[in-house]
Amino acid sequence: MQQNNIAIKVKGLSKDFDISESGKGFSGKLKALFRRKRKIITAVDGIDFEIKHGEFVGYVGENGAGKSTTIKMLTGILVPTSGSAEVNGIIPYKERKKNAAKIGVVFGQRTQLWWDLPVRESFDLLRVIFRVSQSDFNSQMKKLDQVLDLNSLMGMPVRKLSLGQRMRCDIAASLVHNPPVLFLDEPTIGLDVLAKESIRNFLAEINREEGTTIILTTHDMNDIEHLCKRLIILEDGKIVYDGETELLKQKFVHEKVLEVEFHDDGNVIHGIPGVTVIREQGCKKWLTFDNDNYGIGEVIGTIASRYKIKDISVNEPSVESIIRNIYNNRVTLATPSEESPTK
Amino acid sequence: MESIKIYITLFTTSIKARMEYKASFLFYIFAILSFYAGQFGLLFILLSRFHEIKGWSMGEMVFLYSLQAFAFGFTNLIFSQLVNFDNMIVDGEFDRVLVRPLSPLGQVIFSKFEVSTAAHLIIGSTALYFGSHYANIEWTFYKVILFPVIIMGGVMIAGGIRLMVTAVAFWTLRNRSLVHTVIFSSKEFINYPVNIYNVGMQFFLTFIFPIAFINFYPAHFFLDRSGAGLLHPALEMGTPIAGIIVITVSIFSWKVGVNHYQSTGS
Repeated sequence: MQQNNIAIKVKGLSKDFDISESGKGFSGKLKALFRRKRKIITAVDGIDFEIKHGEFVGYVGENGAGKSTTIKMLTGILVPTSGSAEVNGIIPYKERKKNAAKIGVVFGQRTQLWWDLPVRESFDLLRVIFRVSQSDFNSQMKKLDQVLDLNSLMGMPVRKLSLGQRMRCDIAASLVHNPPVLFLDEPTIGLDVLAKESIRNFLAEINREEGTTIILTTHDMNDIEHLCKRLIILEDGKIVYDGETELLKQKFVHEKVLEVEFHDDGNVIHGIPGVTVIREQGCKKWLTFDNDNYGIGEVIGTIASRYKIKDISVNEPSVESIIRNIYNNRVTLATPSEESPTK
Repeated sequence: MESIKIYITLFTTSIKARMEYKASFLFYIFAILSFYAGQFGLLFILLSRFHEIKGWSMGEMVFLYSLQAFAFGFTNLIFSQLVNFDNMIVDGEFDRVLVRPLSPLGQVIFSKFEVSTAAHLIIGSTALYFGSHYANIEWTFYKVILFPVIIMGGVMIAGGIRLMVTAVAFWTLRNRSLVHTVIFSSKEFINYPVNIYNVGMQFFLTFIFPIAFINFYPAHFFLDRSGAGLLHPALEMGTPIAGIIVITVSIFSWKVGVNHYQSTGS
C-alpha cells in the first residue's frame, strides 16, 4: 500500500498548554496562590504534513514557535489536544512503547546517557532496554565508532565529556537500535565549528546510507543548508512554509551583511554602490549590499580603499531572520545582532 | 520475563552510579545506620515504658509495630524513587522515560532502590520476635501462610497511596511537601491501635485513607482478638482486598497523570 512509504503523518495536530500565571513580586505571588489566573497557550495550532521514508527535513521556527512541542507529540511524550499523528503507522502517544522501539530521539539540551557512569555502561544498558541482540549491537557500534570516533570516550564518565563529545555519544545512543526515524531537537546547540561539522557529516551519511528518516530542529542556518532538502517553518504554532530549502534560499538570501569595524567612529559611509548602513554602534557598522548585482570582493575593496578598517566579517541572514521575513512578508533584514557569522 | 531482566539491569546500573561517589555513598550508609539506631530506640521505649493502651498489651503493640515496619519497609524498598519524582517532572527528565520501550512506572521504580530498607526489615523482624513472644501468639499453619499475604496487602496499600500522591506532580509539578506529609507522617497514626481514635477517625483510616488495614485490622486475626469492637468484624480480613483496590486506583491515576504530563520548555 502507499501507506508504507509514509514515515510520519500529521493531521490537524494541536497542543494547548494550560498555564497558571503567577503575579509580580511577593504579594502578586501570594494572590496567585488563592486566585489562579489560568491562561491557555496554543503551542501548536492545527498543523498538517507528511514525511516520506528517507527524507531529511528541517523543522524550524523561532523560540516558542512550537517545534519542540511537535517533536514531543511525535515521540509520545505529549498527548495532543486535538488532531492526529502517526509515526511508522503507530500513534505515538497511544502506543508509547511500540513507538519508542522504532524511533531515535536526541534532545540537544538534555542527555539520554547516565550522567555518572562511563559511556560504555550507558550503551550496554540501552542495548538491553531496546532488546538489541549482542551481534547486531556490536556491528552497529562498530559502524558508529568509525564515524563518530567513540572508542576513546567509552571509558569516561558522561559528566566529564565536553559538550561536543557528549553530543556524539548522545547521537550514537539514539541509534543503538537502528531506528527508521530519528528526531533531533537542536543537536548542534552550543557546539564549536569542528564538532558541528563532524555531526553534520554523520547525519548526512546515515540518511544516505541507511535511509534513516531525519527530522531536525535547529537555529543554525548551516545545519539546514548542508543537510535538509526540505524545510518546514513554524510560526506561532502554524506552518508558514513547507517546501524545498533551495527555493527558500533563492527567495530570501539575496543580501549579505557586512560587519565592519573602523579605526575611528567619525566615518560616514555613503556613495558606495549597492550598500546601505543598517546599524551603527561606535566604530562598528553593519552594512547590507545587494548580493546579486555586486560581488563581495568589489564591495569590500571599495570600502577598504576609502576607509581605515580594523576588522571585517561577512554574515549571512539566520534562519530566524528569514522566518521573520516570511512571516512579515518583507525581504529587508532584521537587526544584525541576530545574524550568524560565517567566514 | 525479559522485561524483568531489563529492570534488574536498570537497577544494578543505578547502584553503580551511586557508588561512583564513594564518599557520598559512605555518608549515606552512615546516615541510614544512625536513623535506624533511633528506630530501635523507639522500639525499646515501646517495650519498656508502656504496659497497656486501650486494651492492647505492650506485646500486642510491638506486634502492631512489626506489621507496620514490614509493610513500610518493603514499600520503601520498591517505591523509594517516588519520593523524588517531582524532580523528574520539573527538570523534564521524565521525557527520557517516555521515549524508551519500557513501562514508564517500571522505569521510575527500578531507577533506584532504597537498599537501606534492609535495616527496616531487621527492625520489623526484631519487633515480630518480641511481639510474638510477649503477646503469646500461637503461630498456626494459617497464620504462617497468611502473614506474607497480609504484608503484601499492606505494601499495596502503602505503595498505592504513595503512587497516588506522586501522580499529583503531573498537575502541580512540585509536590514534595505533600509526599512527605502523606508518606512519612501518616504512619504515625498506626503506631497505636486505631481504636484509640473516635469513630470518625476510625472511619477515615478505614475507608478513605485505609492504612488501618496495614496493621490494626489484620493484627486481630494474628492475636486472636475478638473483632466485635470493630466497625465491622469482617474488616479483620480486609487487607488484601483493600490492597488490590488501592493499587488499582493508584495505577489508574498514574496513567491519567502520564497523559497529562506537560514536559518542560524546549
